[in-house]
Amino acid sequence: MWRRNCFLAVLSLAVLTSSIRAQEDLNDLHEKMTKDASRKVAPSVVQIETRGGADMVVAGPKGQIFRKALGPTTGVVVGADGYIITSAFNFLNNPPQIFVRVQGQQGDPLVATRVATDKSRMLTLIKVESKSLTVPAFVPKKDIKEGQWAIALGRALDAKMEKTPSVSVGVISALNRIWGKALQTDAKISPVNYGGPIVDSAGRVQGIIIPASPNGEDVTAGLEWYDSGIGFAIPMEDILAVLPRLKQGKDLQKGLLGIAMKSPDKFSVLPEIGTVQKASSAEKAGLKPGDVLIEIEGKAVVNMAQVQHILGGKYEGDKISLKYQRGKDTVEIKSLELTGKDVVIAQPFLGILPLRDDPRLGVEVRHVFDKSPAETAGIKIGDRIMKFGVDEKNLTEFTGDKAGRGQFLDWLGTLTPGTAIKLALKRKAGDKTDTVSVTLSDLPGSLPGIPAKIIDKLPEGDASFKKALAPLELNNPNVKAPKVVAAEPPMPETGLLELNTPDGEHKYWLWVYPQYDPNIAHSLVVWMHPPGKNSKEDLDGWADLWDEYCRKHQIILCMPVEKQDGWLPTHADFVVAATRETIKTYTIDKQRVVAHGMAVGGQMAMHLAFNHRDLFKGAAAIGSTASGIKDNIGNQRLSFYLAGGDLDPLNKYVAESRTRLAEKRYPAFYREREKRGREYAQDVHIQEMVRWLETLDQQ
Amino acid sequence: MIRKNFFRLSACVLLVGLTAMAGRAQESMTKTAVNVNKKMVKLFGIGGFKGLPSYGTGILVSEKGHILTVNNHILINPGILVHVYDGRRYQARVIAREPALDAAILEIDEEVVALPHYDFDQETARPTAENGDWILAMSNQFKIGVGDEPMSVQRGVIAAAADLRGRRGVFDAPYAGDVYFLDVIACNPGAAGGALVNRKGHLLGLLGRELKDTRIDTWINYAVPVQATAEVSREGKIEKVSLADFVKLGIQKKYKEGDKAIRVDKGGFHGITLVVKAVSSVPPYVEEVMLGSPADKAGLRPDDLILYVEGFSVPTITSFLDVMKQYGPGSDVDLQYQRGNKLEKVRLKLTDPPKVPAAN
Repeated sequence: MWRRNCFLAVLSLAVLTSSIRAQEDLNDLHEKMTKDASRKVAPSVVQIETRGGADMVVAGPKGQIFRKALGPTTGVVVGADGYIITSAFNFLNNPPQIFVRVQGQQGDPLVATRVATDKSRMLTLIKVESKSLTVPAFVPKKDIKEGQWAIALGRALDAKMEKTPSVSVGVISALNRIWGKALQTDAKISPVNYGGPIVDSAGRVQGIIIPASPNGEDVTAGLEWYDSGIGFAIPMEDILAVLPRLKQGKDLQKGLLGIAMKSPDKFSVLPEIGTVQKASSAEKAGLKPGDVLIEIEGKAVVNMAQVQHILGGKYEGDKISLKYQRGKDTVEIKSLELTGKDVVIAQPFLGILPLRDDPRLGVEVRHVFDKSPAETAGIKIGDRIMKFGVDEKNLTEFTGDKAGRGQFLDWLGTLTPGTAIKLALKRKAGDKTDTVSVTLSDLPGSLPGIPAKIIDKLPEGDASFKKALAPLELNNPNVKAPKVVAAEPPMPETGLLELNTPDGEHKYWLWVYPQYDPNIAHSLVVWMHPPGKNSKEDLDGWADLWDEYCRKHQIILCMPVEKQDGWLPTHADFVVAATRETIKTYTIDKQRVVAHGMAVGGQMAMHLAFNHRDLFKGAAAIGSTASGIKDNIGNQRLSFYLAGGDLDPLNKYVAESRTRLAEKRYPAFYREREKRGREYAQDVHIQEMVRWLETLDQQ
Repeated sequence: MIRKNFFRLSACVLLVGLTAMAGRAQESMTKTAVNVNKKMVKLFGIGGFKGLPSYGTGILVSEKGHILTVNNHILINPGILVHVYDGRRYQARVIAREPALDAAILEIDEEVVALPHYDFDQETARPTAENGDWILAMSNQFKIGVGDEPMSVQRGVIAAAADLRGRRGVFDAPYAGDVYFLDVIACNPGAAGGALVNRKGHLLGLLGRELKDTRIDTWINYAVPVQATAEVSREGKIEKVSLADFVKLGIQKKYKEGDKAIRVDKGGFHGITLVVKAVSSVPPYVEEVMLGSPADKAGLRPDDLILYVEGFSVPTITSFLDVMKQYGPGSDVDLQYQRGNKLEKVRLKLTDPPKVPAAN
């Protein structure tokens, strides 16, 4: 009976629905749902346009964006009285003029002012004069689940506000991304909808779209993932929670504890404190290196990643509780207020130039800088550092698996200025060994208040021992010597060479002076030519300016060719490929690989330096401002040479850039050239750049 | 007892109903993909340029084997190889091009009959698609298919129907006008000339080239709508042509290509001098207004900041000058500008440039 009834029902249903289904199947329903959701929230999705602001010339995944500021962007209403939230990305260049267009609003765009920026979640609150904006409904965080529809909306593509926003359909891919701060979606996220909402199938706002990356902190981090199926949004609930604070007009900073872990491994080692920043909340609370965090906000932690997950979303001024282990004791701190200052890492300076290409054990001093710690400690030219360490009774010897210079620099990278170290020196005079005590100072140029100078004259005498390819002298029998190239290496081609990157897609030129000697490690200058100046003649002409110094100081020039209208961050890949290829073929000193350019090319040079630190150790830029400045990293030194012309209207920003780099404790130099605009360097300035380049391996 | 049965029954109905619908939904897309594929061809160019793919996609627009595709580099060398859906191979040649529509018509060199195809007039007669419409993008991207292998099918939605010029310099885009922006990464090597269809298989547009949004340095995924129109210049006169006209006349070998440089500077004079372009992207602040010029008559003054020209956002001097090139003497151009904190609107009537060259 039951079965038959059911069968009948199915039959009648089939008849009944077949006609309906013809027009409206599931896909139709889904399509309708998407459009309804978009239509519902459309009045709350506004278009934002900006004008003016700091002129930033290069766009960048992780560097700065310029071109993005030229297009309209998106925002979402969060207050009927005129408050609109958007991605901080849209306000990178601090534009003085902001205009907002709202659906249904007649006449001219509304003028908006910037209220405050949340620098932790990379959102900006703006306000227009209005009393009647439409505040959208939102989804509480507890109701957002993986797999739910997430429809990304934007206003960048179309100026017609009467239409619905642009739409990309996806799902919620994950919760609690970017150290607990963001939702992840596979809808297509790009500058087209940054600042816009992701909404659920009912048109309720789940979050605000931002470019983000778990690997980067700056406003543009994550841009490189545009349209990739990996996009992020800050949950609306969190935004509403912080809104009252933003409305007060004060920017919100990320809350920091002020510690760096002993190990860079975030996952498989205990969170043991390596350094405690001065004046940080950790210092105030009495935390010390060696302490191991065991609990934060009542949650047990066993690695750095867990610590970051809990602290990632905190603001300056937030209070947290924590427990740590010191020796056998467990210590509890009930309430600790987080500070908002950036953790600034500075690298130390001993004050010597080492002899290069030296396979023997230790580091031979070939120059001692005036008034440096090394000079004060009585280190002399010709002395050889044989052992090093902080504790005199426990000094480290050179192992021989790495050139002495490299091993010594690696060790210095783990220290900070102010550290007292001990060095066992084999004196040039008398062949005796003694131990000196040195207090390390700051790298020249890395203090913001103190203008830096590049030495007037390079030390005389050979910089190189000329045995770059010889096997290293081994100390420890347990250490395997690295593979060594044949004693008579094949001589690579010299001259002006036209080459292609390994994928065959991009051209670059090399200038290798004819007397190239593979036993000497060379400097490598990678030239980012000005837009359009990419012909053989242009590049050869530029190389001519450097040729004298190439021969004298062993410099190879690499000149990637960009064929369109200027360097963009996306070109970094082939520049990197060309650079790597050159390093493979020629003997290059990894401490002296720099990118160089002027104006847009200089921006690109800095972009390369910040984003490919394993490769570039510095950037020399003429008439370019620094932006997208990243935090300094202890063991990846990066130096900058900036030059500007006093006639260039941008010059003051170039000068300011030096200060900003020094604030991050990068060694940075600034040269103001008299009666010059943004032309290329004169000979005297090329000489200065060469001296800068020649001291990049200072220690 | 009756009530209980009834409840069970309705549960049963619901279940059956749902599965039937889901099955049906899938089927309809499959059918569409199969049908559309029959109306599409794979194109292979001879030679080509280094770094550019020498393959592409086309759509059949007549039973005799006329093919609509994008007017791109693979058509430069004569002799194009065509693979139709069932694996038959033909030689084809270009019989019409229109750069302003970024379109070309190919003709198969042999006698063929009864090829499945789109009736282009019928397709263009339908209303345009709107934001959020489901679409399928079909093309031979990356040359994955040869012979009788089908096109790659991608699903997505229309992100927006909007002006391509909003994302590219006016003089930069191969085709200037409304396009469908897609939320699917469809514009890959070889995809240009592919079909954008709705779920019913109706042809919405022709997939575009690989193109970058020059403002934000990101790739654009777009299609030129079948209803597209463009202005072409023929013997100095500006005429409007539609893609439908082009297809119709192209098949009949009666289409006359517009002059090469359609998007030239039309040279309408406005009389505004802008602040010196010291850096690459200064906003268009008015520096000077020439006495008696259209801008002067309209009341523009130094320090006004121009925001929009005919609704086009002009954030920089470059974009302002670029957009203004589209308007010749006699054109009326609406400008929106900011003076102090106020937004103002004004209409300029452009004139011929003054005979005596201006000081600048």
